Amino acid sequence: MNVRLAILLATTAALAPLTVLPARADEVPKHIGYVVNYATHEWYQNVIKGMKDHAKLLGIDVAVKDANLDVAKEVAGAEDFMSQKVDVLIITPVNEEGVVPLLRRAKAEGVPVVLEGNPVKGMTTMVAICDYDTGYFAGIEAGKYAQAHLGGVAKVMNVGLPLLSATVLRSYGFMDGIHTIIPGATLVHDLDGGGNPDRSLEVSSAALAQNGDIDIIYGINDSSSLGGLQAWKAAGKSQDNLLVVGTGGEGLAFINAMEKEPSYRIEAAMFPEKEGYTTIDAALALYNHKPVAEHIVSPTTPLVGDDWKKYYEVNGTTRSIKWDAVNALTPPAKCMKTAADLKKS
Amino acid sequence: MASSSQIQPQPGAGRIAAAMAGQPQAVLIVLLLLLCGAISLAAAQFYSLANIIAILRQSALVLIVAAGMTTLLIGGEVDLSVGASLAFTGCVAMDATNRSGSVPVGALAALAFAGAVGLFNGLVVTRLRVNSLIATIATMMILQGGVYLYTREAVQNQHHLAAFTGIGAGYLGAFPIPVLLAAAVFAAVYIALRHTLFGRYTYALGANPIAARLSGLRVRRLKLAGFVITGLLVGVTGLILCSLMNAGQPTAGRGFELTVIAAVILGGTSLAGGRGSLIGTLLGVLVLKVIDNGIIILRWNQDFQMVVPGVVIVAATWLDTVRVRRRAV
Amino acid sequence: MLSDPHSPALAMQGIGKQFPGVVALADVDLTLTGGQVHALIGENGAGKSTLIKILAGVYQKDSGSIRIGGVEAELRTPRDALRLGIKVVFQEIALIPEFTVAENIFLERHPVNRIGSIAWGKLRADAKALFDRLGFAVDPGARARDLPISTQQMVEIARALAHEARIVVMDEPTSSLTPKEVALLFTVIRRLKSLGIAVVYVSHKLDEIFEIADTVTVLRDGRHISTKPVAAHTQDSLIQDMIGRRIEFLFPRARGPARSDVLLSVRGLSTKDKLRDVSFEVRAGEVFGFFGLLGAGRTELAKAIVGFDPIRSGEIAIGGQPLRPHDTRTGVALGIGLLTEDRKTEGLMLEQSVQHNMSLAALGGFAVAGFVQEARERSAVQGFVDRLRVRTPGLDRPIRDLSGGNQQKVLLSRWLLRGLKVIVVDEPTRGIDVGAKSEIFALIDRLAGEGHAVVMMTSEMPELLGLSDRIAVMANGRITATMPRADATQEGLLSAAIA
Repeated sequence: MNVRLAILLATTAALAPLTVLPARADEVPKHIGYVVNYATHEWYQNVIKGMKDHAKLLGIDVAVKDANLDVAKEVAGAEDFMSQKVDVLIITPVNEEGVVPLLRRAKAEGVPVVLEGNPVKGMTTMVAICDYDTGYFAGIEAGKYAQAHLGGVAKVMNVGLPLLSATVLRSYGFMDGIHTIIPGATLVHDLDGGGNPDRSLEVSSAALAQNGDIDIIYGINDSSSLGGLQAWKAAGKSQDNLLVVGTGGEGLAFINAMEKEPSYRIEAAMFPEKEGYTTIDAALALYNHKPVAEHIVSPTTPLVGDDWKKYYEVNGTTRSIKWDAVNALTPPAKCMKTAADLKKS
Repeated sequence: MASSSQIQPQPGAGRIAAAMAGQPQAVLIVLLLLLCGAISLAAAQFYSLANIIAILRQSALVLIVAAGMTTLLIGGEVDLSVGASLAFTGCVAMDATNRSGSVPVGALAALAFAGAVGLFNGLVVTRLRVNSLIATIATMMILQGGVYLYTREAVQNQHHLAAFTGIGAGYLGAFPIPVLLAAAVFAAVYIALRHTLFGRYTYALGANPIAARLSGLRVRRLKLAGFVITGLLVGVTGLILCSLMNAGQPTAGRGFELTVIAAVILGGTSLAGGRGSLIGTLLGVLVLKVIDNGIIILRWNQDFQMVVPGVVIVAATWLDTVRVRRRAV
Repeated sequence: MLSDPHSPALAMQGIGKQFPGVVALADVDLTLTGGQVHALIGENGAGKSTLIKILAGVYQKDSGSIRIGGVEAELRTPRDALRLGIKVVFQEIALIPEFTVAENIFLERHPVNRIGSIAWGKLRADAKALFDRLGFAVDPGARARDLPISTQQMVEIARALAHEARIVVMDEPTSSLTPKEVALLFTVIRRLKSLGIAVVYVSHKLDEIFEIADTVTVLRDGRHISTKPVAAHTQDSLIQDMIGRRIEFLFPRARGPARSDVLLSVRGLSTKDKLRDVSFEVRAGEVFGFFGLLGAGRTELAKAIVGFDPIRSGEIAIGGQPLRPHDTRTGVALGIGLLTEDRKTEGLMLEQSVQHNMSLAALGGFAVAGFVQEARERSAVQGFVDRLRVRTPGLDRPIRDLSGGNQQKVLLSRWLLRGLKVIVVDEPTRGIDVGAKSEIFALIDRLAGEGHAVVMMTSEMPELLGLSDRIAVMANGRITATMPRADATQEGLLSAAIA
């Protein structure tokens, strides 16, 4: 734990001011418009929740439009917001082509734009997590766990999603992280689980039949890790010598799993609420013409065992974030590796 | 004039072709044997008990719905909403079991929900006279959106009833329960299609809807029954999948309808209606699932899991038309 | 292409063609001469369509030779045939419905202007010139789908001219034409003759052949039977060549007079589109014939009285019971059924077995608790196959393998097996060869004799006059005349139909 925190602390500093409430001198924008690419997804639900929580405290009105994965809708939504004269525009790009002209138009109209999630050429600033780092630090924790409980052996089944660079980075990061602790760790299965639970279950079942000699399941999101775990259980295997590591921590699924499943010990939490929170801070900075980094990193951290209770509170079927704890996390100034590095290699 | 005197036996290779021609599933049986042989030569694990069970369990999920889809396609209709309904049904099943603490109540809720979806599809098609392709795409959209209104996230297992987990992961003797359920569904639908009025009328309806109506068949009721049966079978599958995943997943079942339809078509059932068999569907399901499994067992790039079935469907359909052409005059 | 002016336009010699299990053609010759109409006749399954399809490049011959203008030719694709000057006008017209007449004519070779785009003006002018040569006027700008079948046929023939075809093959060209349209077609065929084109004319209708053909080739069971000048034939000698036996009576009437009980009564029947105030009664043992030109409303009437098409007003009663609700299920239950005009699309389940086709309407009677008693079904079906002498290799054979006449017998049996009071037959002999025709007539006669009421719609006047007890004539959705057969003449019927 301490090693990780040290690394985090050593690499932050620059962005610390952004996570603090603005000074009194700052002017507060009245209206912020957010065009989300896909509001149905749990991740974005929580991003929006974090945005609204934070904006409410500051007295900012946040309006949301859903592009529903349609570029045309995204452009139309953003143009609507501009003609309504919002003070700042936040966009999660559906794709690059759609957003580039939007950025040009916003510049012409003098509306500052914060991007969330994915970079686009010509942007001022983007708030996003570091996928590689998220996987990397979860990998370090997994390595430590394997040393303590699995006899120092790490044979990994990666339930991945090769389609997206973000999810590929998570898997790379996880293996690189685990290698820092257990240099002999091996990647036994590298699977495409499609990011959804039933597909993950199916491919994991086949992979385990081909070679069941693994002791760590890594999933690029919670559906993937849970699908892998269900395949393990359906094959009639005991969870005694197994570690499951999930990624994302979007909803209640991982909390439920960490409570009920003996092998589900680590979650690489990405705090979507915090990402929403940070975009509001970025919007505020832009509105006040303050200098901002091109990539503002939203913090992530591995949660081991009961760690989740520090950050989340569960009431029945809803969870609420503990802002104090999450805001205390200091993100790195920049990611260890990004999609650009993938292209290079 | 067609008379028996014109049918002459053919020598040598022609006879083998003729024997193949008389056996509608010949292409698929040969294909399945070749696949199993080739995969097991390259990777012995293919024949491990764990893997056979994994294949059978996955096949069972597809086969149960495919049995209903075969009935629908033979009758000249199609249901594209099965994937979306599958996900929703799983959520309903888990939620109902959570609330009631009773597996039978959860199972009934799943069947009732999915059966109602089937009834809705059937009513839209027969009463509003909307083409079933369009009607069920609409239902698919309604369900895909509706499930998020119902639950934003996966419905977790809060009841921890062992019987519920048993539906997907349990065994009866040596056989996984989903496989037994699929076998029962297969037998029932097979008999219904071959030996009952319902089956015979369904074939007639698909082969020639006008002739069916002129013969006094209850065309609308027949179609409605096809949709409801398919719906109920989606209910069974939704329950199994929900049990296997130990959660009701709103994101599950994506593309499931295409897998099902691909298997049915691969099995030789005509998209135009009136022609098809459940044996063919069974073989189609097995071929697709063996390919799916084989690609992982062989450690090939998983992108082939989409490519190979596509190629196989084209090849098998082509081989089948060649076969039919050899037989036809 | 080098050609010898003295050699025939086309010579097919020793043509053989086999399909798995069936010899479709064996050692067939066909020689065509420019400017002559050569009729090709034979019962269904005699090999006419196979021969035409070989000529069209659709099928490949297995043996024999084809010489065009004295030069050996290989017809591997329809394109080859077209290139060598052979144009086949099939029964199912192959025009593109959404294209204009002119576009259809020049489908394969649009005239282009200098910049390579289609010269629309020239296209229309060229099309018009072709129609002038044929002595026929069609608007080149009209869409194909808006034209009647007869006109579409003319467009196909114009396409032949556009391709400078030397050989035009017509497959059953008059099967859906009115007498007036047939006359027009013959004018055009004579024009083709005068242009030196060799015409192959395939038909079942013997009187047409005597009118238009110069030479007749008869095929039977895939073999060449005879080629003679038409003048050397009589109707009887042609029929004998076709079926190998003499048919004494085409319309044998064996039944007695009609009984007095009314089985079908129709009062003041009108539909939304076509029928206006139609009333008639049919008694047990009676064949009630309907005559009318294409579009008179006969098929509409047939579909309305069995409950298939909705009605707007009027009363239909079967055996005294009103047909209410107005649907086929009630109709069948009361005992009325329709043998449709269009066997393939409205009657048959082509891929399914003879047995399944025949038992469809009666299947409920063979079921116990929803399960079909297949042994009972089979023996009942076998009974009708024997009684009606349906020629089939087996009850499990797909019905598509049967000839048209045998298919029709199976469809008729579908109703006989069900046990109807009233049977409505619409064009019962369309596309059926001569031998089977007389069998169908005998069957209809027998049905009436057994006490059924038969309503028969037909545009074949000899059938109508030979078989009916009474005849009603329709025009524009109304009955314009009803007469006993004794009072009916061809002229009288036609004048009422035109009225």
